[in-house]
Amino acid sequence: MIDVVGLVKRHGPLQVLRGVTLSVARGEVAAIIGPSGGGKSTFLRCLNGLEPFQGGAITIDGLRLDSDTPTATRERLLRRIRLDVGMVFQSFNLFPHRTVLQNVTEGPVHVRGLSQDEAEAKARQLLDRVGLADRLGAMPRQLSGGQQQRVAIARALAMEPQAILFDEPTSALDPRMTAEVLAVMSDLASDGLTMVVVTHAMRFARQVAHTVHVFGDGRVIESGSPSQIFEDPLQEATRMLLSEVQAA
Amino acid sequence: MEDSAGPSEPDPPAGPHLDSRAFCPPTSRPSETARPFRLQLSFVLMLMLAAFFLVGPALATGRADTLDKIRRTGVMSYGSDKEGGGPFAYPDPKSPRTVTGFEVELLNALARELGVRAEFAQGPWDRLLKVLDTGRVDMVANGYEWTESRARDYLATRPYYVYQLQLMAPRGGSIRSWADVQRPHPGNRRWRVGVLSSSAADNFARESAGATVEVLSFDGATDAMTAVRNGQIDATLQDLPAALFYRDRFPTLELVGPPEGRGYYVIFVRREDDALRRELDRAIDRLVASGELRQLYERYGLWNEAQAELSGWSGEKFVTTGPGPPRGLELLWHYRTLLLDAAVMTIVLSVTSMPLAMAIGLVVALGRLYGPRPVQVILSCYVEFLRGTPLMLQLFVLFYLLKLPPMVAGIGGLALNYSAYEAEIYRAGLQAIPAGQMEAALALGMSRRMALRRVIVPQAVRIVIPPVTNDFIALFKDTSVCSAITLVELTKQYSILGNSTGGWIEFAIATSVLYMAMSLPLSWFSRWSERQLDAATAKGGALG
Repeated sequence: MIDVVGLVKRHGPLQVLRGVTLSVARGEVAAIIGPSGGGKSTFLRCLNGLEPFQGGAITIDGLRLDSDTPTATRERLLRRIRLDVGMVFQSFNLFPHRTVLQNVTEGPVHVRGLSQDEAEAKARQLLDRVGLADRLGAMPRQLSGGQQQRVAIARALAMEPQAILFDEPTSALDPRMTAEVLAVMSDLASDGLTMVVVTHAMRFARQVAHTVHVFGDGRVIESGSPSQIFEDPLQEATRMLLSEVQAA
Repeated sequence: MEDSAGPSEPDPPAGPHLDSRAFCPPTSRPSETARPFRLQLSFVLMLMLAAFFLVGPALATGRADTLDKIRRTGVMSYGSDKEGGGPFAYPDPKSPRTVTGFEVELLNALARELGVRAEFAQGPWDRLLKVLDTGRVDMVANGYEWTESRARDYLATRPYYVYQLQLMAPRGGSIRSWADVQRPHPGNRRWRVGVLSSSAADNFARESAGATVEVLSFDGATDAMTAVRNGQIDATLQDLPAALFYRDRFPTLELVGPPEGRGYYVIFVRREDDALRRELDRAIDRLVASGELRQLYERYGLWNEAQAELSGWSGEKFVTTGPGPPRGLELLWHYRTLLLDAAVMTIVLSVTSMPLAMAIGLVVALGRLYGPRPVQVILSCYVEFLRGTPLMLQLFVLFYLLKLPPMVAGIGGLALNYSAYEAEIYRAGLQAIPAGQMEAALALGMSRRMALRRVIVPQAVRIVIPPVTNDFIALFKDTSVCSAITLVELTKQYSILGNSTGGWIEFAIATSVLYMAMSLPLSWFSRWSERQLDAATAKGGALG
């Protein structure tokens, strides 16, 4: 479903990604862990074109994006890729001028071209699924962080994507709200949604993910099943990362 | 824009104004009396304005005798306006820092007769008598004709020139005399005749033109001639001296028909200065008798048979008859339709130009933020150019160079000028929207354009409502600058009516009240929208 080969990303002289190669299969839940500044979020943002990249190639659902794809082609490809791949942000990024329901119907109505009625029916169903059926008319600022993030997940789901990218979805939340959001994500994973999750929530990575990728210094240090990564890491760097997390 | 003074300060339109206008009383210019109508201040200011007009003349009356002062200091100062131009008083082409003209020479000659020196003092022409009230000048001599309403408030000398009015029209055109414009225009509209605002020609044209003529007031004699040359108006009625003086500069125009009307240029002094008036009268008598005046006028090509009336002047023509014009509410009631028409003009100018300014400003702001690099550069030049040049000059370009009709030039000029300010407000508003909003919209599959329209702009609008409302109020008052291109809006009408009736106080108060009545709803809207925003934020703050 997602194939990345030799991805290179530079910010001026700084190399943020130094050749990342990574694949995610359909229905797979991939967790990306690693120290801050290791390039995890940048990698995720390259996948749906929020960041341009300077080397390598990304193929999503058969759509291939190279670093030297001409701008016009790139924009066209990205529109299609973004229809396939939803995204959930660390800071939620709900539209503050729209109600909860409108946040969820915005994409289906204006991008997918669904009728208002269809979109609302689906949005109600999704908001019910994430436990917010009673807050349809609320404005985002009236919700807690956990509630906002669950609306953001419903908003991404409403586009019926093939996959959803999660960029540290619980980093801005306290433990109770984190639990709410992770419960929703586990639910989605068990439904077979393809998910790429950049996270510091190790327990989630361990229990829900099928594959764990450890990022460090702009590279994938190690990839493997959760049990292998958490119980028998091959790399010293992975071991250090995990001991830091456990110590914290 | 925190201050409306920035772009719109009505700079003098043309010609080197080297003399300071510093002696002008602060409330003597239309743009300044009309400017501060912000809700909280306007009532206080209105009272101050009324106090100024009530107390000002009273102070002047208590001053020591002006003739004594002139003799003591050896200087007699007279108010005049170089902007009015030749041949009255204008910058000497050979030495532009000094002023010359037949009136300048006349006043020098009169001063010699009194054994003193004459001093030119620059002031706005249609406010010279108000300057006289303040005591900053001793007399006014600048093509001011004797009128009954002026004679009620000031003392007039005997005439120093018998003026007539001269029609100027395109050479070889269909207008051959004043009688021609009394007939219906073949094009199913009225003849457009330009005049110098508040001049004798202005009064004459309005009184005797009838239904076939639309009279347009210009701030300078040559502005009206330029408009005829441009084909924007059909003809201009000028004081004969100006027509004679400028005919060579406008070779495509000619003087058509015999001179019309007849009136008398006089020097005005304050009511209590009868002694000074007598001295000036005697001095003019002597210049007439010695033939010196005739020589002076012949040098300027101004002598004609009408001047014969100057010798043997008896004064019986200067009589004020019957009761004076109405005052107070009666005066306002009498001119109510003119005031309301002018208020409507002010409203029309504002409510048409502001939405345009907002629309253009939005496009410019979006282009500057999200457009390709060359577009960004061009648009930032656009903003800097329009912000960096005075509104009045922009209006002149649209009206005199591009020859747009006055309404189009007025609305267009205001819209363009303010679009630069709106663009900057929007840019700030758009930049205040977190980057995550654009990313979230793009991640949903929106195009950049749709993300702007559906997500970014609606949020930015909420932020910019208060500053935009603020600009609307500023623009509303800046409509007064449009009087420079013949549009008679409220401030201009105030000036015209004050001049023609002498009812400055009444019209100042009425004008203030009208401006306030019109800007109040805007202020209310601004506060209401600010409250809405505050309430929304507070609610979010408590729960978020």
